Amino acid sequence: MDQRELLTLEHYLKEYGQQAEIFSSQLEFLENGRMEAHATIEALHGLLESDDGMVLFQIGAGASMKAKVLEPDKILLNIGSDVIVERSNKEAIEFLKDRITELEASQKKVAETLDRLRSQMNEIAKRIEQGYQQAVQAEHAVQPQPARINKDE
Amino acid sequence: MFGGLRERLQAARARIGNSIQTAVVTSQEQGRTSASSVSQNPVLTEDQVPSPPVSSTTFAGKVKSFVIDRELIINEKEITDALFELEITLLESDVALPVTDAIIDNVKRHLIGKHRKIGQSVDALVVGTLKEALLDVLGNGFNLTDYIKTHEHPVKILFTGVNGTGKTTTIAKIGFLLKNQGFSVVIGAGDTYRAGAMEQIDIHAERIGIKIIQHQQGADPSAVLFDAIQYASSHKIDVVLADTAGRFHTKANLMNQLEKIRRVMKPDLIVYVDEAVAGNDAIVRAFEFEKTVGADAVILTKADMDSRGGTAISIAHTIGKPLMFLGTGQEYDDIIPFSPTQIVEELLGDS
Repeated sequence: MDQRELLTLEHYLKEYGQQAEIFSSQLEFLENGRMEAHATIEALHGLLESDDGMVLFQIGAGASMKAKVLEPDKILLNIGSDVIVERSNKEAIEFLKDRITELEASQKKVAETLDRLRSQMNEIAKRIEQGYQQAVQAEHAVQPQPARINKDE
Repeated sequence: MFGGLRERLQAARARIGNSIQTAVVTSQEQGRTSASSVSQNPVLTEDQVPSPPVSSTTFAGKVKSFVIDRELIINEKEITDALFELEITLLESDVALPVTDAIIDNVKRHLIGKHRKIGQSVDALVVGTLKEALLDVLGNGFNLTDYIKTHEHPVKILFTGVNGTGKTTTIAKIGFLLKNQGFSVVIGAGDTYRAGAMEQIDIHAERIGIKIIQHQQGADPSAVLFDAIQYASSHKIDVVLADTAGRFHTKANLMNQLEKIRRVMKPDLIVYVDEAVAGNDAIVRAFEFEKTVGADAVILTKADMDSRGGTAISIAHTIGKPLMFLGTGQEYDDIIPFSPTQIVEELLGDS
């Protein structure tokens, strides 16, 4: 493997690395969305189970205040395209569960692509490593062997 | 691709069909009842020419759907619920609100007041109507091959869009596609801004065997792209694919730079590239780009990862420009020319 080929492989590796980075952040984004939906479902369940609709309302910087939810069964939900509709608590939970399923399907796709990219990167990294070893061996082969000193002489 | 949207549309199709079917059954039952109990209303024979009811006190005026010579007129009330569900379905799939409204209006226009022969397939009527409504918002698509064949060479195509959506990879894919179709192609490496961008496009060009024109990093992209066009003209190259740095429409300096590129390069086509998974954001950005630098067509990448499909459905209607390609994977041949009829068939077809 010559120097030029090694350089090209390094470029490939870098490019795949950049792509992998984009897909990783996409995966993270999807995961955050999924976790958020789960947390919201939990909150909606909590509201249904609460007798007086009392919640802790976070106002930032770790500060919270007690607040009462007037209509715990009326949820204003962004269903997509920035359109907000009113749903019952149970309907909102169903909607969020569907969203989670969708997000998980997307996550699966992205994860598959990422896996493919990573295996390609591993393959390239292996070839680069082999190339370096070949180069080092070739260098050793052309270097003159140091003269052996015979102690008896 | 767009599996979620397909599932939802199929469900909506069934719901509308059921609503109409229920109306048909009700009409038939009421028709039979009226024939036996309302002796003053003569039963219409198949040969008789139907006449509309003149007063709401007559039997025909009282029923929601009425049968005239074995025909059913579809009444808005009968399908209101199903249409509302269709509307929600579209919105939940990230189809933009104006596009959803256009689809619903179209469906209403084609179904309500329509005379339908009883016995005619309800499903065929619903599917036909939905297909027509979707085709209406999807536009005609954009056939790049035909465009290149019918325009003076070199055809100069400028690619714009935000960062990280796969613009450079898309250019490589299009280069690969055009090369396979027998066109000669040169790529202008106009993204001189992002570290690694020039290397990236250089690797792509080398892999697909396409000549690339590039300057130093940080060079004026207008100059690079001008050189690419000069090279194409002097070497009788068919197509120039001009890469540019990704930018947000809110960055004034970068948008000015794009304006300069456009002045210097005089592109035949400006293509806006964004990702299908961005949903409504992609539509808003495309709209803003179209307003500021203009766009002749749109490409959506990562369509294989988008189960909702709303962006692909909405973008052409929202910005008034056709969708040209859909990116569907990581390989160079993972790009498909956008064909509205094919997409609609995939979404609403039986297979």
